[in-house]
Amino acid sequence: MSVAAAAPQLELRGVTKRFGGVAAVDGVSFEIAKGEIVGIIGPNGAGKTTLLNCISGLHRLDGGDIRWQGESIAGVAPHRIARIGIGRTFQIVRPFGSMTVRENAAVGAMFGSDAARRGPKEAFEMADQVLELVGLEAKAGHPVSALTIPDRKRLEVARAVATKPQLLLLDEVMAGLNNVEIDEALEMVRAVHATGVTVLLIEHVMRVIVGVCRRAVVLDFGQVLAEGEPEVVLRDERVIQAYLGERYAKRLKS
Amino acid sequence: MIAQGLRDRRWRRIFLIVGVVVAAYALLAPLTSLDFAQSANVPLLADRLWFRLATYIAMFIVMATAWNIIGGITGYAAFGNVAFFGIGAYTTGMLIAKAKWPFLAALPFAPVVSALFAALVGLPLLRLRGHYFAVASLGVGVAVGELVQNIDYGGQPLFGGASGLFLPIFSIDNRGLFFFYLMVAAAAVAIFATRWVLRSRFGYGLIAIRENEEAAAVIGVNTTSYKVAAFALAAALTGLAGGIFSQWNVFINQDNAFPIEYNVQMILMALLGGTGTVFGPAAGAVLLQLLIQFLGGSLPISVDIPFVSTAARPIVAQVILGLLLVAVVIFVPRGVIDFFGGRSRLSLSYLRRSLRETSL
Amino acid sequence: MRNGLSPEQLLTVRGLNAGFDAGPVLFGIDLEVAPSELVALVGANGAGKSTLLGVLSGLVRATSGTVTLSGADVTNARPEVLVRNGVAHVPQGRRLFGTMSVEKNLLLGAFLRRDGEIRTDLVRVLDHFPALKDKLSREAGTLSGGEQQMVAIGRGMMARPKLLMVDELSLGLAPKVVDRLIDVVRDINQEGMAMILVEQDVLVALDAANRAYVLENGRVALSGAAADVRDDPGVRRAYLGL
Repeated sequence: MSVAAAAPQLELRGVTKRFGGVAAVDGVSFEIAKGEIVGIIGPNGAGKTTLLNCISGLHRLDGGDIRWQGESIAGVAPHRIARIGIGRTFQIVRPFGSMTVRENAAVGAMFGSDAARRGPKEAFEMADQVLELVGLEAKAGHPVSALTIPDRKRLEVARAVATKPQLLLLDEVMAGLNNVEIDEALEMVRAVHATGVTVLLIEHVMRVIVGVCRRAVVLDFGQVLAEGEPEVVLRDERVIQAYLGERYAKRLKS
Repeated sequence: MIAQGLRDRRWRRIFLIVGVVVAAYALLAPLTSLDFAQSANVPLLADRLWFRLATYIAMFIVMATAWNIIGGITGYAAFGNVAFFGIGAYTTGMLIAKAKWPFLAALPFAPVVSALFAALVGLPLLRLRGHYFAVASLGVGVAVGELVQNIDYGGQPLFGGASGLFLPIFSIDNRGLFFFYLMVAAAAVAIFATRWVLRSRFGYGLIAIRENEEAAAVIGVNTTSYKVAAFALAAALTGLAGGIFSQWNVFINQDNAFPIEYNVQMILMALLGGTGTVFGPAAGAVLLQLLIQFLGGSLPISVDIPFVSTAARPIVAQVILGLLLVAVVIFVPRGVIDFFGGRSRLSLSYLRRSLRETSL
Repeated sequence: MRNGLSPEQLLTVRGLNAGFDAGPVLFGIDLEVAPSELVALVGANGAGKSTLLGVLSGLVRATSGTVTLSGADVTNARPEVLVRNGVAHVPQGRRLFGTMSVEKNLLLGAFLRRDGEIRTDLVRVLDHFPALKDKLSREAGTLSGGEQQMVAIGRGMMARPKLLMVDELSLGLAPKVVDRLIDVVRDINQEGMAMILVEQDVLVALDAANRAYVLENGRVALSGAAADVRDDPGVRRAYLGL
């Protein structure tokens, strides 16, 4: 029992994914403990989204292993990954356009993890709870096309949360939001986290990383460049060089 | 918005009334052909021609409604569903003609064999997307018909070959009435199946696949098995129609069991009536089949088409159907049910919105 | 000269209303851009920024109001007419031709041009974005987000516009890349190309721009010199979260 308790929830060991001859993700290893919020940052093209695709089963690994609660999930199909409790959002939101906001969330609750799967009637009840959690309850009956961009991002999160994940992968949920909208979205992430969900998020917005993450992993050219507390990582000279740029680093310090 | 809602409701009511009247007429008219009705001097509302036409319409209601499950709800534009019709027809036909089974024992095998075949070809085919799937499914539709005609076994054509397959006549009083009601029952099964699908978890999974397959997968929809199941369900219903057809028509061959034009017609019916809806494909089937029969000159009310000889009418009918397909896709991409029940009808903004939605 | 507008404005928008089937989005927008000016357009999501750019590039119809370009009325002109008259639009999310090479993407920006200087302009664009030089034959869809944004801006420049409109420059981009792109945008602007920059990162936009407009619920809530807008208490509270 003590062994299982000590094991990380998610463990990446030398994860590698190649496209053509190029390694988009090149031997990435890190661990996430249950209940953490971990941020992934790094330049565009560093392999962040590819890494998320590997975890959620959309890409097959070319090397390494991904372990979920101690068991390998490499090569497992995406719907099975969802069933064991790993949910995700997409960088460019992918709502089910012909459905209402409520139906989108309900579909998540009909499928998703083993904890979520239920018939339409209960799924709609659960959808209402989730919409309240992300602040979309007033727009439950709206068609997706009537939503603003921040609300579409909320819906993307709502659908993933409705699958009752233990680990939620968020791919740039804050992109395209202004500072005030980001603050609101941060509240939403904190609220989801408070329900006991581990969060792994990709962001380019540093106030998000600093604001909610206990730990940040920096990827560059598909490899881990740095890892640690956000305040420390963002002052790392290599990270400034590869990712933040001098001007940003100055602004961050001031 | 409120005024629109009212008009919406008004159209819905008109649709409902028209639908109920047409359905009641279609279901009750055959009874006037029964002996006791005739001896009571009830006017005959359904003669042989009526039965033939009405049974064809019911048959297309089955096929269009079935196509809607894979094409409309799941979003996979299957262009070869006639293969399932033919397989159903030949399954029943072979069991009756060669194995000497009674019709009602042979009929259940039509949907079963069609569904199994769909599952088999669906596994590789449904990995393809967009036009690739459409073209590949069309290929299967054509290939199956050719195979059925040309497979030999021990020097003999296995399925009757080019000369087709003759079935013993199913002897029952009021044959026309029997097969009409049987086909209507199949249509009811198809419509109820669609209704069930659209309200079930299964249906939400299929719509999710249509809207975005990867997003469906990462919320836990087993996309492969859902797609295959939808394809097999569509095939089972289409095969059921084929099975009934074989005994009704008594003779089947490649031409009447695998007519390529059915592929387009069932899609056109579903589009015309409204894909993804419960009753849309059925409404489209009634409208289009009446039009086809009218253009072909087999309706009692017939109008001469200027400059077109009687012999050329079927060809002209095809041309008109083709033009209609273009018009439907441009003007009523969401079907007549939406067209009349929706907000604005023959307006520029409707056309613009339609064009925008279909061109994306 | 219509309406007695001052001839020195490159773009003048007066009383513009526009929207979609779902309802109006823009209400009585007034806006000017002088030649070689860099104008920032900021505001919450849904305020109408992208819709305004859509009207200016002919993708969204104005229901009333006028758009004047170099003194000529171009209200509801077709997109290709606007491009020919010097308006280029770099849309949100790049919208590159993903399976075409970087070079073809850039050259397609000059689609309507018949002059002999297209190649010269290509060299000029590559001088601004040296990172693209050894990637000309790569499929545009395989580039990183920052490089794609470079191609999108470069494609806009290839039309040799008088006015370049960039929607969401920093969307999904690493801080360092945003810095570099802002530098390039400033350089291009200083070479004499007027620009409208739509940006969620309000600080970045206001640092770069000469003037700024703040849109709220489809109306111009505030406009003026970029520095003044940045110091406006309402803006600091609503957009900068300060």
